Amino acid sequence: MPEIKVTPLGAGQDVGRSCILVSIGGKNIMLDCGMHMGYNDDRRFPDFSYITQNGRLTDFLDCVIISHFHLDHCGALPYMSEMVGYDGPIYMTHPTKAICPILLEDFRKITVDKKGETNFFTSQMIKDCMKKVIPLNLHQTVQVDDELEIKAYYAGHVLGAAMVHIKVGSESVVYTGDYNMTPDRHLGAAWIDKCRPDILISESTYATTIRDSKRCRERDFLKKVHESIERGGKVLIPVFALGRAQELCILLETFWERMNLKAPIYFSTGLTEKANHYYKLFITWTNQKIRKTFVQRNMFEFKHIKAFDRSYADNPGPMVVFATPGMLHAGQSLQIFKKWAGNEKNMVIMPGYCVQGTIGHKILNGQRKLEMEGRATLDVKLQVEYMSFSAHADAKGIMQLIRMAEPRNMLLVHGEAVKMEFLKGKIEQEFSIDCYMPANGETTTVTTNPSVPVDISLNLLKREMGLGGPLPDPKKPRTMHGTLIMKENSLKLVSSEQALKELGLNEHQLRFTCHVQLQDPHSDADTLHRIYTHLKSVLKGYTIQHLPDGTVIVESIVIKVSSSAEDSNTKVLLLSWSYQVKTWTLFLYIRGLPMQSKPDSSANHLVIESLF
Amino acid sequence: MEDAEFDDILDDWFIESLKTYKDLHVYQLEHPTQVLEWTSGKTVCVAGYSQSKNEILELRLPLKLLADENKSLCAERDFKVSHGGFTDGPVRCLIHIPGTRCAVTNDGLSSDLQVWDLGGEESDVIRRTGSIKGKKSAPERGSRIAARPSSAPQVLHGAQISDVQLTELASGESLYKLETDSADPLSSLQFVSDTVFLAGCCNGSVYVADTRTSAPPQLSHSPSSDKSVIWWTDGAARPHPSSCRVIRVSSSGQVVISDLRNLGGVGCQAQLDVQTPGRCSQVDVKVSWAPTLDDCVSVSGFSGVVQIYNTRLWGAEPQEARPLFEHRGHAVSSQQTDDSVPTFVTSHIWHPERPRTLLSAASDGSVHVWDWVDPDRQGGSPTP
Repeated sequence: MPEIKVTPLGAGQDVGRSCILVSIGGKNIMLDCGMHMGYNDDRRFPDFSYITQNGRLTDFLDCVIISHFHLDHCGALPYMSEMVGYDGPIYMTHPTKAICPILLEDFRKITVDKKGETNFFTSQMIKDCMKKVIPLNLHQTVQVDDELEIKAYYAGHVLGAAMVHIKVGSESVVYTGDYNMTPDRHLGAAWIDKCRPDILISESTYATTIRDSKRCRERDFLKKVHESIERGGKVLIPVFALGRAQELCILLETFWERMNLKAPIYFSTGLTEKANHYYKLFITWTNQKIRKTFVQRNMFEFKHIKAFDRSYADNPGPMVVFATPGMLHAGQSLQIFKKWAGNEKNMVIMPGYCVQGTIGHKILNGQRKLEMEGRATLDVKLQVEYMSFSAHADAKGIMQLIRMAEPRNMLLVHGEAVKMEFLKGKIEQEFSIDCYMPANGETTTVTTNPSVPVDISLNLLKREMGLGGPLPDPKKPRTMHGTLIMKENSLKLVSSEQALKELGLNEHQLRFTCHVQLQDPHSDADTLHRIYTHLKSVLKGYTIQHLPDGTVIVESIVIKVSSSAEDSNTKVLLLSWSYQVKTWTLFLYIRGLPMQSKPDSSANHLVIESLF
Repeated sequence: MEDAEFDDILDDWFIESLKTYKDLHVYQLEHPTQVLEWTSGKTVCVAGYSQSKNEILELRLPLKLLADENKSLCAERDFKVSHGGFTDGPVRCLIHIPGTRCAVTNDGLSSDLQVWDLGGEESDVIRRTGSIKGKKSAPERGSRIAARPSSAPQVLHGAQISDVQLTELASGESLYKLETDSADPLSSLQFVSDTVFLAGCCNGSVYVADTRTSAPPQLSHSPSSDKSVIWWTDGAARPHPSSCRVIRVSSSGQVVISDLRNLGGVGCQAQLDVQTPGRCSQVDVKVSWAPTLDDCVSVSGFSGVVQIYNTRLWGAEPQEARPLFEHRGHAVSSQQTDDSVPTFVTSHIWHPERPRTLLSAASDGSVHVWDWVDPDRQGGSPTP
């Protein structure tokens, strides 16, 4: 039976490193290549030894697909392609291709420069890796080779995030990456058509949660900012890129206007530079509504938000500053942080995950004394707030996605099986599909039932229709006779005669004969006549003829009677039939004659043989 | 730079909430619940009430809400579905048996009870483990259930006052039956001590009995002779364990507080401003004494609002009561697609220890967790 194999790579059950291997229709595809941010040793990389014990991966993989730029989905890509070795195509969307190298370089700098690690990819490796990238557009089918095609769908979550549809022949798989089903302010909700893949692969990290509303997260953000400003404090918000940052800016701007607040809000220069770059990415990537809300704003058209100058950091009184980089590991946000950290009226709001080794990571772990360059210690007295704005689908979201795509099977990765039994049961109950939950390193094999399209010749179709009966109906299959010809990549169903003609073969007919012995004292002709009469009475509805040449014909079975040489009371019946006919019934009917029949083992044997 | 999309989040309620709530979390369940029941200080059960199959979910409160120190470093705001299971019918009443991982439900269609194992570490599935037969076969509103606070798992249950019995879960044996002839349907049933319980009838009368004796129960008659009105009751052993106050709320908004030691008398009264178009008959009114704030009660079920009152301000003569605090979240941010049917709060509960933390659920599937700020510091004496 055809099957698809799915293996999440990596050790243990822990989350944090997405890398899934799919074998479909003879093709091997790697989905995502993430780094586990919690480990400092080789455990942070996916376990590629599953693919091959040594040597390059090029021969074993047909392609690699990256869903979005988060490091737990692409962090190990340069390691995989340049240090382990892979020269094949790497697919990702345009925004992912633009943003990935920036994040990878930042990550590399932090790991090597700040943490002093050695076995890590270099800047050149990142560049070489990105040269292998082929960008994808949404909803555009891309032929990886003659048999493998892929298509990207909008996933929401972050700029450029995609869900990917992989098809080989009539088998297909959809991998969701990270996605969300409730629209965000700058991102829409994930969308996919009713593509009915054999397997829908999704992360289960948030599958057993119910998400707090966006409103409440924003409320908490505004509340904290407002409280700080009211007591005269300064608020630093380190951000990475456009999208989230712009969203928070618009939120503050509207709030300031509503509450008639006077404290200044600034947007640092690092961000302004990136603004135009991402602006262009947004244009092609987002939908109409978001483009209208978001992209058409110019960064500097804010009434309350102005460009930052580094000297402003020393100004007295309350203010809010958005600055890069997002993890406080270098640059302007770190400079500002150093100035403001000593005052408990101030606040820093971290809107996202921080990589180990960064100041951001340290303060989010509660560290209140930081070692800076030149052995200086920084006392962290300001308030540290960790807020998560990332958009993820929850338990309800997974059900919505399954409803949209209508997969034949569901597969959840990165979860603890024992903690997802209920979800598995829910999916199985509501959709009547199987739900698989492989552990990392464990392979799940899903048997598919692909439909094989076959062309039928017009002649054959006409002939079958000519036989009468109901019209072809998918709900009422009808048996028919024909010959299947497989030529190149096509399958054709034709009549036997046409097949023989195409193959240049002559038709041969097989006729079987067997002998049945009976005890009958009558003459040959009388015996034959008795057989004829008997068969006529029991086999109603069949054509039975008694021909003048001394044969009885039942449909296409020929019966002749002759006397045995040794004993004239023993009659030998010759039965002859062509290949398709079933003769066992006939045999039984003859046996039913009121004549004694002598068991002739060889004759019986022959009859039985010819039945099967 | 006004944008219509941002006006919707910066509505008046939202702006106000910055000052009026310490914490606020808003969730959307797939299906609405009529039950909210604590199964520990951190977990709560909800269950659907559609006609056929429903889910029971045990939800763990968000870590950010529970974190006391390092609250600011915790970004986790979501409910975790720690356990889940399926029922064959609606769930109108769900009670957790203290000290166990067991829950008992009633579907509102008969007086029989279903018994469930909420699951432990090894599995996240809530399974049905058995049932308890009730008395009457076709009550109008199903059985009320109460769990004995301590001792071996026992449940008090019944659809009407004459059917109230105490059943031992393990054996199914009936340990006690309330002796009375009246067939008034019940709207509430609760233990006020380990053996003393209150049974509130829909007509407003309240019975007090002790499971240790077969003596007839004490009866406090209904405050009103109006038969069209339905009453709901809550009792609490506050402010002192020896006293027990009983509050009764009617569907017309009349409120009466009496002391258990003097059931015939009336402690104080009030008239609630019950909103038009009026109560949804499918939804029960929920009235609840606050577990740690003296004299505070909460009321829901008349609309999409949960109201908190300071009963110390009430006197012997019924006067219009003004709420100390109103949670309007469900009405304001309703997820209901059909505008003609207003959203009703189906249930609410107080956190057993955190003084001002409540959970509320509404007919549109929303569940809110909120920690309100006392508008006037004099109201209620909070226990730290």
